[in-house]
Amino acid sequence: MSLSAFLLVSLVLFSAGLVAIMSRRNLVTILVGIELMLNAASINFMAFNYYTAVDPVVGQIIVLVIIGLAAAEVAIFLSILMVLYRARHDVDVEEIREIRG
Amino acid sequence: MNPAILAIVVIFTPLVAFATAMLFCMKAHRIAQGLILGGGAVSVVGAFLLLLGGPSETQSIVWLSSGSLELSFGFMFDGLSLSFGAVVALITFLVQVYSIGYMHHDPAKTRYFALLGLFGWAMLGFVYAVDLLQALIFWELVGLASFFLIGFWYEKPSASAAARKAFLLTRIGDTGLLIGILLIINISGMAHIPALLDAETGLTTMVSEGTLTLLVLLIFMGIMGKSAQFPLHTWLPDAMEGPTPVSALLHSATMVAAGVFLFARLHPLFMASETAILVVLCIAIFTALMSATIAMVETDLKKVLAYSSIGQLAFMLAALAAGGLLAGILHLILHAVFKALLFLCAGSYIHHFETNDMREIGRRGGRRMRWTTAGLVIGGASLAGLPPLAGFFSKEEVLASLSHGGYHLIWFLALFAAFLTAYYTFRMVFFIILPDRPLEADATVHDSSPVILGPIIFLTIATVLGGLILGPLAAILLLDVPHHSLLSMLPAILCALAGVFVAWWDFGRSRATRRGFVGAVPVLHRLFSRKWYVDDVYQAVFARFIQLMATVLHRVEVDLLDGGADRLADVTRWTGGWTARLQSGWVQAYIASGVVVVALAGYFLGSR
Repeated sequence: MSLSAFLLVSLVLFSAGLVAIMSRRNLVTILVGIELMLNAASINFMAFNYYTAVDPVVGQIIVLVIIGLAAAEVAIFLSILMVLYRARHDVDVEEIREIRG
Repeated sequence: MNPAILAIVVIFTPLVAFATAMLFCMKAHRIAQGLILGGGAVSVVGAFLLLLGGPSETQSIVWLSSGSLELSFGFMFDGLSLSFGAVVALITFLVQVYSIGYMHHDPAKTRYFALLGLFGWAMLGFVYAVDLLQALIFWELVGLASFFLIGFWYEKPSASAAARKAFLLTRIGDTGLLIGILLIINISGMAHIPALLDAETGLTTMVSEGTLTLLVLLIFMGIMGKSAQFPLHTWLPDAMEGPTPVSALLHSATMVAAGVFLFARLHPLFMASETAILVVLCIAIFTALMSATIAMVETDLKKVLAYSSIGQLAFMLAALAAGGLLAGILHLILHAVFKALLFLCAGSYIHHFETNDMREIGRRGGRRMRWTTAGLVIGGASLAGLPPLAGFFSKEEVLASLSHGGYHLIWFLALFAAFLTAYYTFRMVFFIILPDRPLEADATVHDSSPVILGPIIFLTIATVLGGLILGPLAAILLLDVPHHSLLSMLPAILCALAGVFVAWWDFGRSRATRRGFVGAVPVLHRLFSRKWYVDDVYQAVFARFIQLMATVLHRVEVDLLDGGADRLADVTRWTGGWTARLQSGWVQAYIASGVVVVALAGYFLGSR
């Protein structure tokens, strides 16, 4: 297993997340895409941490921060989603365009 | 008592009354009226005490000093200030008394009386002023007060237009006066009037005659505006829009008198310049003839009197310019008395008949107002210069000073103007006392109330006895009383009598045509009734030029300044409208642009 194998995996995951965000209209799917991208970034960090870093602790801390951040983000995202659904019975981003200029 | 303290009381009591009335008595008309009359009475008593005290030293304090220049504030107590100050205070007070009756029903009485107080303060301050700048300040205050009073009935468009006209035309003159005073201060480094007039160290010793001529002519510009001399005279007839007591005040002791007074005050300076004397004489005599000819065809009672004021002011200036200081001041004072009388009589008629047309006043029984008519006849006779009334003595002095000065052509023209004065004055008198059809038995004509008649009777007596002041006035002015033989008085008396006779022939006798002898020459009649086209020329030249400029400037403002700002706003709004479309509300587009930006940034930062 080399560094490039890890990077390839993370690239695939990141691309999948980006495609999910860009192409799907359901907010839940978009949330999943965001999670994928965050995890791809985490894998990247751990890979570089394992192969090239002088002090591995720094990379581990950053990954832990990302995980915490992702958890918080999911909590907020889902609560907004619930309120939106209650108000509009719909979670389609194409339909939620109230502040269009 | 120290004259300076007395002078402060005389001058500033009307100001205190004015301020109190304006600030606290807007609703309490009677209290305001009492305050102003009280202030006026204090001024009269004080001014006469000053006069009885006789001339004394000038008293002044340094008010402002800058470098070598010292401007002072103080009072002069020479014969000129003392005598004229007393006249101003007295006539202002009489007009205030008269106004109680005349303005009885006016709802804005407080403002009226308060402004009379302001007027009195300004004029008295001017008369006693010791410093040119101090004089200028009060001079302008006189102009301001008359602006307010001419436009007192400001709801009438003609009244507010007349007030503006008076203010603007005198302002043209005042610009010259201001430049003149500033030049004098610049050249001599002082503005103290007695110091400037000093024969050994004064202004005349500092500058060449050419410069002096320029200086005094600049000052004379101010005098022309204030004393309504051609070509700045057109405001005075229009000023008749104000209440009649105001006209009485404006035309006798204040406002127009200020110009002549300034001339008398600076008399030695004018005397030092031959050119200035000639200019003043020419303007004065032309003004006298012009105003007399206009008055010959005017039918508005107040306007006849207004034109007669212009003519008599011209007489005063001519006398002063010819070197007759005593004659000029005497005519100034006596004219103040009998012109106030004439205006108060006119006001009494107008108050009763509510018309200014003297023919109508005559037809509706003006002569049944016996006391008023007596005042009008005596005042008119005095204006015409019939002996032994006040006007005879002063006009005689004026004509004598012209002939003594060696200005025989001017003297002759002045005699002619005196003839015309007698003619139009008695035209006015005959219109009122001998109307063209018999009066109907109208019982409603009755004379005015005592408060109106009181000042009229007082001034009538003063007009009859006015000639007696010649001796005392000469004494207080430290001048000699000239002696004239009966023969030298004869031309003036004959001219006046001829004027009265021609007026009787044209307007008084039972078969009179009532057209006047100018009526026979239509060209002249038209010229006179259009007031020599002066107003029309001003309208055509200056008014139109200013209107053109205003139109151009208006377009510049609307199109260039306003329009420019509008275009700028349009562009901003249009750009905003277009950029707002970027806010599509399409989340994926935002994300895509974010990704593109990050990718580009990464590419450029990485390739460095």
